Amino acid sequence: MPLGWLFLLVLLIAALGYALGRRRALAGAGGNLRAMHSLPGAYGWNVAMAVLIPSLIMLALWTALAPFVLDRMVAPLMAGQEGEISLLMSDVRRVADGLVRLGEDVSSVQAEGLRDRLAEVGVAVGQDVSDATLAAAARYDVLSARSGWALTVLVLAIALGAAAWSLRRITPGLRARNEVETAIQGLLIAAALVAIATTVGIVLALISNTIRFFQVYPASDFFFGATWSPSFGGGSELGILPLVWGTLYISAIALLVAVPLGLLSAVYLSEYASKRVRAWAKPMLEVLAGIPSIVYGLFALLTVGPALLVVFGDGGLGWMQGGTAVITAGLVMGIMLIPFVSSLSDDIINAVPQAMRDGSLGLGATPSETIRQVVLPAALPGIAGAVLLAASRAIGETMIVVLGAGAAARLSLNPFEAMTTITAKIVSQLTGDQDFTSPEALVAFSLGMTLFVVTLCLNILALWIVRRYREQYE
Amino acid sequence: MNDMRLFERAAAVDGVKIRAQGVNVHYGAAHALKDVSVDIGDRLVTAFIGPSGCGKSTFLRCLNRMNDTIPAARVTGTIALDGQDIYDRRVDPVQLRAKVGMVFQKPNPFPKSIYDNVAYGPKIHGLAKNRAELDEIVEKALRRAALWTEAKDRLQSPGTGLSGGQQQRLCIARAIATEPEVLLMDEPCSALDPIATAQVEELIDELKQNYSVVIVTHSMQQAARVSQRTAFFHLGNLVEYGETGQIFTNPSDPRTESYISGRIG
Amino acid sequence: MTDLPAAGAIPVTPSPSRSILETDARTRARNRAEARFRAYGLGALLVGLIFLVLLLGSILWNGMGAFTQTQVTLPIELLESELDPEGTRDPAVIGEVSTFGYNDLIEASLARVVADAGVQTELDAGDLTDILSSGAAAQLREAVLADPSLVGQTVTFDLLAASRVDGYVKGRVTRESLADDRNLSPVHLDVVDQLRDAGFVSRGLNLDFITGADASEKRPEEAGIGVAMIGSFYMMLVVLGLSLPLGVAASIYLEEFAPKNRLTDLIEVNIANLAAVPSIVYGILGLAVFIQFAHLPQSAPLVGGLVLTLLTLPTIIIATRASLKAVPPSIRDAALGVGASKMQAVFHHVLPLAVPGIMTGTIIGMAHALGETAPLLLIGMVGFVASNYPGGVVEGFTSPNSAMPAQIYEWAKRADPAFYERAWGGIIVLLVFLLLMNLAAVLVRRRFERRW
Repeated sequence: MPLGWLFLLVLLIAALGYALGRRRALAGAGGNLRAMHSLPGAYGWNVAMAVLIPSLIMLALWTALAPFVLDRMVAPLMAGQEGEISLLMSDVRRVADGLVRLGEDVSSVQAEGLRDRLAEVGVAVGQDVSDATLAAAARYDVLSARSGWALTVLVLAIALGAAAWSLRRITPGLRARNEVETAIQGLLIAAALVAIATTVGIVLALISNTIRFFQVYPASDFFFGATWSPSFGGGSELGILPLVWGTLYISAIALLVAVPLGLLSAVYLSEYASKRVRAWAKPMLEVLAGIPSIVYGLFALLTVGPALLVVFGDGGLGWMQGGTAVITAGLVMGIMLIPFVSSLSDDIINAVPQAMRDGSLGLGATPSETIRQVVLPAALPGIAGAVLLAASRAIGETMIVVLGAGAAARLSLNPFEAMTTITAKIVSQLTGDQDFTSPEALVAFSLGMTLFVVTLCLNILALWIVRRYREQYE
Repeated sequence: MNDMRLFERAAAVDGVKIRAQGVNVHYGAAHALKDVSVDIGDRLVTAFIGPSGCGKSTFLRCLNRMNDTIPAARVTGTIALDGQDIYDRRVDPVQLRAKVGMVFQKPNPFPKSIYDNVAYGPKIHGLAKNRAELDEIVEKALRRAALWTEAKDRLQSPGTGLSGGQQQRLCIARAIATEPEVLLMDEPCSALDPIATAQVEELIDELKQNYSVVIVTHSMQQAARVSQRTAFFHLGNLVEYGETGQIFTNPSDPRTESYISGRIG
Repeated sequence: MTDLPAAGAIPVTPSPSRSILETDARTRARNRAEARFRAYGLGALLVGLIFLVLLLGSILWNGMGAFTQTQVTLPIELLESELDPEGTRDPAVIGEVSTFGYNDLIEASLARVVADAGVQTELDAGDLTDILSSGAAAQLREAVLADPSLVGQTVTFDLLAASRVDGYVKGRVTRESLADDRNLSPVHLDVVDQLRDAGFVSRGLNLDFITGADASEKRPEEAGIGVAMIGSFYMMLVVLGLSLPLGVAASIYLEEFAPKNRLTDLIEVNIANLAAVPSIVYGILGLAVFIQFAHLPQSAPLVGGLVLTLLTLPTIIIATRASLKAVPPSIRDAALGVGASKMQAVFHHVLPLAVPGIMTGTIIGMAHALGETAPLLLIGMVGFVASNYPGGVVEGFTSPNSAMPAQIYEWAKRADPAFYERAWGGIIVLLVFLLLMNLAAVLVRRRFERRW
């Protein structure tokens, strides 16, 4: 039975359970609401949730785990090397899927010409189907059909059993509302734990693949290697240093653009601008923050790069060879970060108590003296936190550097040269069909791990500083 | 100081330091101060009293144009310092505030060292030619604010680390370090405990030797203790202005009497 | 007050009494510094706004061209002898004629038009078809298969011009730039000029760009963003369907029920950090968990939606918690006071009041997700994938597709000015969607905002 139908059936049982539970509770109390502990609906919900929660958990678990069990059971039919087997198995799964689509009796299908016939029903197989693959695929289909039936029976049994059990428990004295509320609270907690699960997922995905990478490539060469030259034929040099340098260089230029401009705009908006100017300029500046980074990437590649080339390129000063360069990506990233820095600084400057400003103005200081000598020093920790957050943004930014910075990994001081970053290389190593066992693909996970750790530290530090700063003035 | 001295207090007026005539203040549509005329004497303590929201703080802030920092505030009428209109177009409020200093309700030391707090005003106004002169100004101001003995060994520690009363005396030191002629104090003791209040009040009494002091207070006892002249504000009007002794013992306006005897306020 | 006597002993130096009506030199200097500082602030703000204007100007200037396309209007004789020699008018029979057959018809028609218009050229008929899109024959074939009765008639078609011709008409391509071009020679442009004067070449609205599918690298003139738009739409459905309930449930727990303990602290710190994790890391997560581990289909909007859900969840949680926090405690107390349980108080009273804030936060989070590109590259939603419309709803979620920002990236990567124009145009479409979403958020906020 397709999953969708099974799901609907479970919902139907739950709905029936609701109606029956409600009726049974009312009947038990002789229709007297005051004799019942909870409202009738709560008894209904009690039954419905008793049906839904276990059967849906079962459904989800089975669906998630069945492919692995099936793989395990079918894999022995395929002879192959350790690395090969996963590729072979993905073929088996595709063929198995194709066979279902063809809708023919599996025993009569011939391996010869199967690839073309599969292609006709929209299943693309990488190579011609071998007899072993066909046999495995056929077995896979049989097992998968059995699994489907087992799941259907199991889930329906659970749903009906739970419904019967919870209906029998209903008496007017049952604390139905409390039970329902406990169950709901459990669901709420589960939702909150998704955040933890995400982090755990990120960490596990990064760590497990990083370990696999370090098994095929020495960690010291990765962390201290000064050359980045991956070649999928083997013999790659995968040193992270040029990428770290490129990342830091571009981020530094971005901050050099964004911090002064963002901070000064924030000062102007919060201390000088009239209400009307503020009401217009602030949202306008925030439009810059709402524009997706792909737009900035294209802006860097097609507008800023060529424009810089006119000034600094061969026609002008002759410093720049191509439009994609550290300066291009840094400048555009800086523009993107202006509103980020300015809105964070704005919040922080506004948190400085007005009494501090009054004290300074009351002594005859000009507004600019007040800002430079009283407000900004008072806001300094908060602003430092904001700059760290901006730095973390810059380091993690991807699309601008993919399009605007170039692809060459190099250790150079010249901002007019093309360089590349950690994020850009994660993209280039992981896009397209790749064999996830080669060091050239696995290295991306180690790059991701490095990126994650660095940005995590920056974020934690920044959030801690900002929080302490706010507490100071609360 | 006890209240018995109230009657003996000399109320000689050297002259008029600030003369306000027909001052009106509007905050947007709200009419906060209505046609107030007051003469503030030189080297005297003048107290503004009245219930909350009566306009006394608003008027105080007019005297050194601190209301300029509030965009919605509009001030009309004339206020003359030594005969010169402070709302004249030629007057730079920055220069005016160097002459008319201000101390605020809550102690608001800057997040700097004690020394830098006091040196801030002299530095921005360029009152010291070198470090030695600045040291001298800071010491003098701290001494006059009765904070020197407590602070001299910790001049480089942050001003925010002092106790509330010390912080307020630091703010007074900071205000007098720029050598103002008038010192405005907006409820300077409302955030302090009784002992710190007594210290600050004693200080105010000392300060009147050199400065004209205007103090806003919600405490009638305080007004009676420290001031020679008292003005009573009510609902934006100046109800009564006169010698402190006379206001407290024999007010001419029934509203003043009600306030002093605790029936309104 | 030990040091009061000492204070009294200090001789009082009368302050130099200067008139307040005269501004002294120092004050003038300070006022100049004040004006300078103010100017820096205004300058910084203006620089930021100028960048905004440059960015938007650059998008409009470069992108508007994608919404028009050059067409060549040709009367084509759909010869029965070529397409349907037996006269069956059966689509299956006509379908056996490949695009090559139609190419001949186009060639003949073009040669006739050129001759009739008196165009001077040394190009032969075969070379002349280079001014048409290589997809023109397929366009013709589709039209005939859709309506077999056209066979035997002479029908006037608006055929797409080649991208170089389109570029020439839009001013992007010049004769100089064609000097080394393999696809088109400057001589062709002379023909185009003359045909244009004769009214056969024109520029029309290009709706296909908004509704169409991506086209191969050779045919930028056919590429559209429609299929990628559908991909984005299905992804947003997933994001909305998952992140809204999850986000609201998590926020309710954290804001209303969570006891103050280690676990709660951990979750809170976690969410704050997740909001700042680089988006590319979410892409790695998606690749490793959903594709490598769970074997979900690659390039599928379903997977993209799942990744973007995790990405937007922290944003939605933060916004929802803020709006729950803004509901005053008195509302909860009132509900609890009449005997409601904590759960009832939250779901019946607090949550409804927080709905506008939750909606605003969700729309903003979705807008953010709609423009996100980097994670989609890692789960394969880039490349020549947005080439077919999904067959149905299920396929919409599971069959390979791209998304608007990933499609824009794909075009930018193809390094052809004609595709660059597509990319800019795609950005206009994307920004229109973002604008509408943000506008909706602002309207919701304006309409329902309540201050306590």
